[in-house]
This record gives sequence, C-alpha cells and structure tokens, in this order.
Amino acid sequence: MSRLNETDIQGFVLRGYNLPVARYLFLHFEDAERARSLIGRLLHHVTTGQRWDGGKPQSTVNIAFTQRGLAALNLPDATLLSFPVEFQQGMKKRAGILGDSGLNSPERWDELWRGDLVHAWLGINAQSAAILDSRYAEMLELMRETGGATVLASQDAAAVVIDGKSTTREHFGFTDGFGNPDYLGVDRSSQPGQGKRMPNGSWAPLATGELLLGYADEAGELPVAPVPHILASNGTFMVYRKLHQNVATFRSYLDEYAALYGGGKEKLAAKFIGRWRDGTPLDLSPDNPDSSIAQDPNRSTNFTYGADAEGTRCPVGAHIRRVHPRDAFGFSGRLINRRRITRRGLPYGPFVAEGGPASDSEERGVIFMALNASISRQFEFVQQQWIEYGNDAHQGNDKDILMGNHGGRGKFVVQGDASRANPPLICSKLPNFVELRGGDYFFLPSITALGMIAMNLVDPR
Amino acid sequence: MPNKNGSVYGLTILSPIIDDEKVTPSHDLQIRKYLATLPTGELSPFALAPATHLARLVVMDDVIYVGMPACEEHLKSKYLVFESNCDGELDDYLAGLAASVPEQLDAIWSHCVGYPGAANRQAFIDYMKACQLETTFYFAAVNDKSVPETLRALQTQHAVSEFIADHQGMEPARLQAEFMQFVAELKLAPVPRPGSMGEPRYIKTGGRNE
Ligand code: HEM
Repeated sequence: MSRLNETDIQGFVLRGYNLPVARYLFLHFEDAERARSLIGRLLHHVTTGQRWDGGKPQSTVNIAFTQRGLAALNLPDATLLSFPVEFQQGMKKRAGILGDSGLNSPERWDELWRGDLVHAWLGINAQSAAILDSRYAEMLELMRETGGATVLASQDAAAVVIDGKSTTREHFGFTDGFGNPDYLGVDRSSQPGQGKRMPNGSWAPLATGELLLGYADEAGELPVAPVPHILASNGTFMVYRKLHQNVATFRSYLDEYAALYGGGKEKLAAKFIGRWRDGTPLDLSPDNPDSSIAQDPNRSTNFTYGADAEGTRCPVGAHIRRVHPRDAFGFSGRLINRRRITRRGLPYGPFVAEGGPASDSEERGVIFMALNASISRQFEFVQQQWIEYGNDAHQGNDKDILMGNHGGRGKFVVQGDASRANPPLICSKLPNFVELRGGDYFFLPSITALGMIAMNLVDPR
Repeated sequence: MPNKNGSVYGLTILSPIIDDEKVTPSHDLQIRKYLATLPTGELSPFALAPATHLARLVVMDDVIYVGMPACEEHLKSKYLVFESNCDGELDDYLAGLAASVPEQLDAIWSHCVGYPGAANRQAFIDYMKACQLETTFYFAAVNDKSVPETLRALQTQHAVSEFIADHQGMEPARLQAEFMQFVAELKLAPVPRPGSMGEPRYIKTGGRNE
C-alpha cells in the first residue's frame, strides 16, 4: 500500500509521544453551533502525525468524541446509527461483556463516568508542567471565547519520576511501554516482535486496517465504520479506562507469596508480568534481569513462546503472555493478529517507592488508552477472553493475575521445573490489584473529518 | 467410524414437528416455549439422566432464503433437532433418558409426529432410532473419558490445586501426613453431580468473535 497521509491523521494515533506530562479534559457541548466553532478553532492546534523532523514539539493537542458527543454536534442520524454497536452503546452498557462487575461495576465508578455527560476527550501532552499549564490555559481561553464547551473534569497523568528522572515505570514498579504493534504504512522503523509473526519466523507490520478505518485489515476486510467513508477514513476508536492500582495490596500479596517461593521475590514479580521489573523479557532471560536486553530494541520485544509451551520460563498466565500470546496458540501466530491493540496510557497519582508508605485508597493508577479499528473485535475480545477468562491459555477459569476481577477468589499458577531456583507455585485467594474507576469509548477522527464536523458538512448520502 | 469417536457416541436426531393448523399456539411454538424454561445446570434433564457430555435442542423452522443468486427452497416440515455427545451404546443411553426424565421427554417430543411416549421403552428407542442421522462432528471439548471419569478428574484437579495452595511451604513430614489424609478423603468422596463442577460464568457473549 502507499504511504499514509500523516498530515490527515491525529498524531496520537501514529505515535506514543513520550512526553512526560499530560492532562485529559472531558468536555460537554451545550450548543451544537458553538461547539462546531470551537472545533473549527481547535483544528489549528490539533497535532497531526507529521514527522517531527524539526524536533519534538513542546506540547500536543488531540481530540476524540463519544457517541453522545457526536449527537450533540448534530451529526445526521443516518451517520450516528452507522457507527459500530459497541461505540453507540458506550462502555458502561458493555459492562456485562467486559466483566466489569463487583468492584469494577459502573455504580462504583467516579461520578464523572457514572453520568452521561462526557461528549469529548481533549488530550494535552507536554514537555513540562509549566508548558502543560500554559497550553491548558490556551485551550480554556478557546472554550471561553467560543462558548463551545464546558470542562466537566480533567485528569492529570504523568510519567513516574524516580530520582529526578522521568521513567516508563508504572506504580507496581514494572517498566512499561515495550509492546505495541507496527502497522503497514506507518512511518516508524519497525521493531522485531512488534508486528505479526510470519511462517518463516520473521516479523512483518500488521495490516493498516487493524488500527485505522478505511484500510484493509488482517482479513482483507474494511473495518466496520460509519458513513460517509470520508468521515471514518484515517480515524480510529479509543478505549479510555481509568484503572486504579491497589499498590499496598499488591505489595503485601507479593511479599506473602514470595515467602513461599524458592525463586525469590523479584523473580515472582517477573512471573506475574512476563518481564522483570526493568523490562527484561522472562522468555529471553529467565534467571535474571539483563538490562542489555531490555534496552536493545532489537531484542526487547523479539521473543516467542513456542519453545516454552509448559510456561517454565514465562508462565502461561503471565500478563503479557495472555494479552499478546504471540505464537503460543500455534499457526505461527495467525490466530491473534486480529486481537491486537495499540496502547497509549500514562500513570496518574504520586509514585511511592518500594518500602514507602503506600495505601490502596490514594488516587493512583494507569490511564489506560487503547486504539483499535474495532473495539469489539480487538479490545473487548482481549478483555473478555484473555483477561477475564483463561480458556484460550489453557488456564480454565483463571483470570489475568494483574488485571482480573478476582474478588478474592482468583488463582494464578506459576509453572516451574525441578530446579531449586525455578519451583512451581500456586498463588490463590487473589484480590483485585486493579479496579476500574470509569471510562468510555471514543472516536478519534481524521483532520479532514474534524473539518467536516466543524463546518457541519457530514453527509451520509 | 460415524456416530462413534473413541468411546464417545455422537447422536443426531431430527424429529418432524406436527403441523396442525387447528392447534394454537402451533406445536413448534409450544416446544420453543418449553425449551426456553428448561434449567441448564444441575437440574437440566440431561444432568439428571446419566451419560450426557453435551446436549443441544433446536427447533429448525426452514431454510433461510438469502436472496439472489441463491434459489428459494423449503423444508417439508419443521424439525426438532436433538444433538448429544454421550457415553456408551445408543440403546442404553436412550433407555437411561426414558427411565430418568420421561416427563421432560414427553413434554418436548409429544409435539413431534409419531412419538410413542417414553413409558413404552422399546417403542421410544425404536422411534428415536428411526429419526437418527449419521454424526460426523463432535463437540471438541469432549475427550475420550466417560462423564463420571470427567467429573472425577475435575474434582481431583480442583482439590489438588486447592491442597497445594493451602500447603505450600509446609514442613515435609507434616505435609506428607496431610497429603495421605487428603488422598484418602478424596478417594472416598462421591463423584460430583453432573452440571455441578462449572463455575458460574456471568460473562455475556456479544463480542464480535469473528
Ligand atoms: C493497571 C493496569 C495495567 C498495568 C499496570 C499493566 C502493566 C503492563 C506491563 C508492566 C507490561 C509490560 C511492558 C510491555 O510489554 O510493554 C504490559 C504489557 C501489555 N499490556 Fe498491560 N497493564 C495494565 C493493563 C492492561 C490492560 C487492561 C490491557 C488490555 C486490555 C493490557 C494489555 C497489554 C498489552 C497488549 C501489553 C504488551 C504485550 C506484548 O506486546 O508483549 N494491559 N502491561
């Protein structure tokens, strides 16, 4: 296929910005005409996928809409009703499918998400807090001048800072941000292990239509998309989930089971995820972390599970093996190529170092944002079948140890061998380490589509 | 060999549903209504009767016309489809159903043409066999074990993983003693009832699993 038109695609879709601080604003539109004029003004600010040859920008701005938001902008019904069902329903109504019950059920979400007022997500990323504040002020000013939207709430997120340096750690102490798919036509040097596995053992980028609407996907089909085509094309869907982390519970659980585990605490922590805390993949280095692997893009994501069918290196139920099984299901990985998601999350809340006074009740977690062409086929499938259920991974009813809605009854098996340093272990009575605090499904349109919305030119015929 | 895969029997039965204009609601609707209320867990008729791994009952109305270029075709009758993956020989299995859940069978099949009732055991078996089609596909998750063996295996798996979880790190002599006792108790434990071993799963389907 030809190269994508990067100037027509929001930058947030094509790259992780790796900017240390962010603020996500949740907007409500009161009047369609004024909201459209706001979007028209915002168009000059929205960061596109154009390459940053002149260096990274100081800050970025991106925008996405809920179904209610698009309705509030008075898009024609024939367009609104052509969106995929799960997007029309929104995340709250999908709770049954997603396993968002008990501690994760919508009644327990933050007030913002219990209501139905969120119309748009406006994401600002910046190099520093001061730059973020000034870009934020600029956005507020635009909203004031146009009267186009009110800010219902804002969510700050930021890379975890350790010893004065911004890192890619999350609150449980693991290094995140390695695994993300490569797509055909996206101008980024591809990295072994990121795309799809080919029968000859090499890696190739995934079809563009797994990320962007308007292009063929891995089945050679066009993803379900709204009409007209030009509204959908170069756009994508975003899943936004505020995932609270119970850091105190996680640490005490890890301590409790480390006392029973001959491999040591750090190895047990690595078995939960499939990577050591520094990011070294267990399948490449099962005995100790090796920063030379973790920091080498040619190796850090370049591994498979086929030779570790028993899970003695990386447990079959480890987080990264469940959510991206690579070749674990055979058929050189072809069963999973339509279940990939692109992650764009950042942590929120203050980081507490190991040994520090961590509590569960403090606001702290991950703002999980995932992009995909089909929320139901990609994100929802991963969440339902691979996180909240274990059959594909031959783990019965066991859920993802990290993310599962265990309700105190969960179980996780660490497969082992006869050696002293790598014994088997069963972790039981799993609590919820992570709790859902709300979120929704968003449509992230192309620059062209934003212009059409702003000018009220969306015509489904 | 058709109908048999290892020790598992694959049963497919198509029973024509009575077409009687004078009956309201029609017989097919009456079957649907009854099936919709049948329990699926331990109280399912197929859990009460012996030897069923998986059973499925479907009312088949007609072939669906999908538009050009297909040609329009119709079945001569509506059918009740009964599929079961079960243990043992067919006569024994059918006799087991007739002995354990005759009311349920009669409530379903009395809407079918020529059904003799479950009380007349031989006539019932003959009727079912007259409606039988050859089976060549099986429910993949049924392995070559009988229903009681499968239930026993699940019971053992659950018990052993619980035992390990509760005894990890225990001092060896005590662990051995507790393990012996555990094995002795497990041996004496009755085979669990069919339908009792699955955890309730509240997950709804509806994801696009294509
Ligand atoms: C609090 C929430 C979460 C935490 C702390 C967390 C943590 C991690 C960590 C430490 C990694 C390893 C780093 C890497 O490979 O990039 C990872 C990878 C990953 N996670 Fe999560 N995760 C969370 C939620 C989720 C959810 C909800 C999903 C999907 C629905 C998910 C999907 C993935 C995927 C796809 C990968 C990459 C795996 C690969 O390509 O090998 N994560 N996560």
